[in-house]
Amino acid sequence: MQITTLSQPSLKTQLRSLFVIARKDWKVFWRYPLNAVSNVFQPIIWITPVYFMGKAFSTNGQATGFAAYSGSGDYMSYILLGTVLTNFILTVFWGMGLALKEDMDAGVLESNWLTPVSRLLILVGRTLTSLLTTTITSLVMLGIGAALFGFKPTGSTLAAFLTAIPMLLGLYGFGFAFAGIVLLMRDANTLIDVGSFLVQGFSGTNFPVKSLPYWLIPVSLMLPLTYGLDAIRGFLLKTNTLMPINIEIIILIVFMFVMLWGGAQIFYRVERRVRKLGTLGQH
Amino acid sequence: METSLTPQSLGQRGLLSDIRAFLAIIRREWTIFIRYPSWIIAMLIWPLIFPMLYILTARALSGPDGSGLAVFMKTTGATDYIGYIIIGTTVWMWQNIVLWDVGFALRQEQMRGTLESNWLSPTWRFSYLLGHTGPQIVSMAIFVLITAIEFGLIFGVRLNGSGWMLALVMLAAIPAIYGLGFAFASLVITVKEANAFVFLIRGLVMIFCGITFPIAILPEWMQAVAKWMPQSYLIHAMRTAAFSNAGVNELLPDLIPLLSFGTFWLVVGYLAFIWMERRARQTGAIGQY
Repeated sequence: MQITTLSQPSLKTQLRSLFVIARKDWKVFWRYPLNAVSNVFQPIIWITPVYFMGKAFSTNGQATGFAAYSGSGDYMSYILLGTVLTNFILTVFWGMGLALKEDMDAGVLESNWLTPVSRLLILVGRTLTSLLTTTITSLVMLGIGAALFGFKPTGSTLAAFLTAIPMLLGLYGFGFAFAGIVLLMRDANTLIDVGSFLVQGFSGTNFPVKSLPYWLIPVSLMLPLTYGLDAIRGFLLKTNTLMPINIEIIILIVFMFVMLWGGAQIFYRVERRVRKLGTLGQH
Repeated sequence: METSLTPQSLGQRGLLSDIRAFLAIIRREWTIFIRYPSWIIAMLIWPLIFPMLYILTARALSGPDGSGLAVFMKTTGATDYIGYIIIGTTVWMWQNIVLWDVGFALRQEQMRGTLESNWLSPTWRFSYLLGHTGPQIVSMAIFVLITAIEFGLIFGVRLNGSGWMLALVMLAAIPAIYGLGFAFASLVITVKEANAFVFLIRGLVMIFCGITFPIAILPEWMQAVAKWMPQSYLIHAMRTAAFSNAGVNELLPDLIPLLSFGTFWLVVGYLAFIWMERRARQTGAIGQY
């Protein structure tokens, strides 16, 4: 007897499931509006000490030391832009792994896995709403931050936006690999907390990586995010970049293809192993 | 013939039984603490990486020639900017950890489903919170020690002042830090999901108490707010004790308000607990989550 499946997956059904996942997450997000408020104010709270610390390092309102590294004394625009980009990085970088963990805890992962939907698509679907809500909360945060600390972009917003695309797509690849690790380890909170702090630190979200101690600079240069943040700032704030911007963009595009392919491979291998072990539903 | 029964509790509460219950809670908390050794990693890594972000930003603000650093030293009176930042961030982490650990202690019991049954035992109920505090203070002492060792070894931060004075200041801060935690624990048990309140309180400490900068640099209205927060005095006193030869007399302007806030928060914490306990019994909400 030939076994046939009743499901008829097609591009249309895949897109419909993507939409359904995004709509479900949208409902859940706005069910807890305090989270949205927290997403807006948390980054502002974290950078406020930097604002006042910068004042303690400035003469007549000019952070000349910072300008010597970055080419711009406007350290708050530099940090605010870094914070906005970090919000997006966190959404893609860790968001898919966290979403899997939530599904594990809620006990719905195994049943979701049985649906005739591409598993990578399930992961991507979990980031769609996050990307939209991150855009909304980041814009509000940027508005408040600009009113409190000042934000003066002097360069091309379009060029900066286009540069962010390969960076974020490359991060999806990392997100796939990380989601695989969550499937295997089942608890990755410490990994996420520590990892995101280190990545933030070494990719230069708050400061130019040139200012790092010399023995830490190689670590920073190994992270593709460093070039993404650097190039975007170069376009939008006209800061000095580590390399010519064209080369940084080429690095980002290569990184995008390598990470998307590599991340998907890692995820599929781990997922196959977890299915063999039968631990998919455990948490 | 009519008979009447007066209900009598089998529990014979006394000072000794209360102390025994208190010690049992401490032992339980300690057992749970050492049962999950992932805290070792967290304890080694967090003291290093949290201040690191601010330290590296300060390094960038200094400039390649250190010109910015000279301005910072002049503004703050500090001799070691890394030590200056570490003290501020350590106080922030202390308050943050207490809010999560002590503040959510009763909530965790509620989630596990053991709070209601514990509530029925003939013990002094406040000991549930006090019992959480003992192991927490020990783990925080280890945390501070690890911070000092790591930054001493990696960044060469040295104390110019007295370790005893530093210990005295931290001891004087315990009532204020933990009193706030007790008050918070009662709030959490009442409103259940209170993560946003933790973000609010720790955010206030971060903005107003000068964890990476001197309070004098704040606008006047913000300085006025900072004066009502014990963490401001704690950070100032710890910096004075750690990096100068200040004795008790020099530290008194910070120690007196610190102890006053401590008394205030302990009383508020205890009263909030009594209020929450009565309210929970009246509404029957103690076991709900």
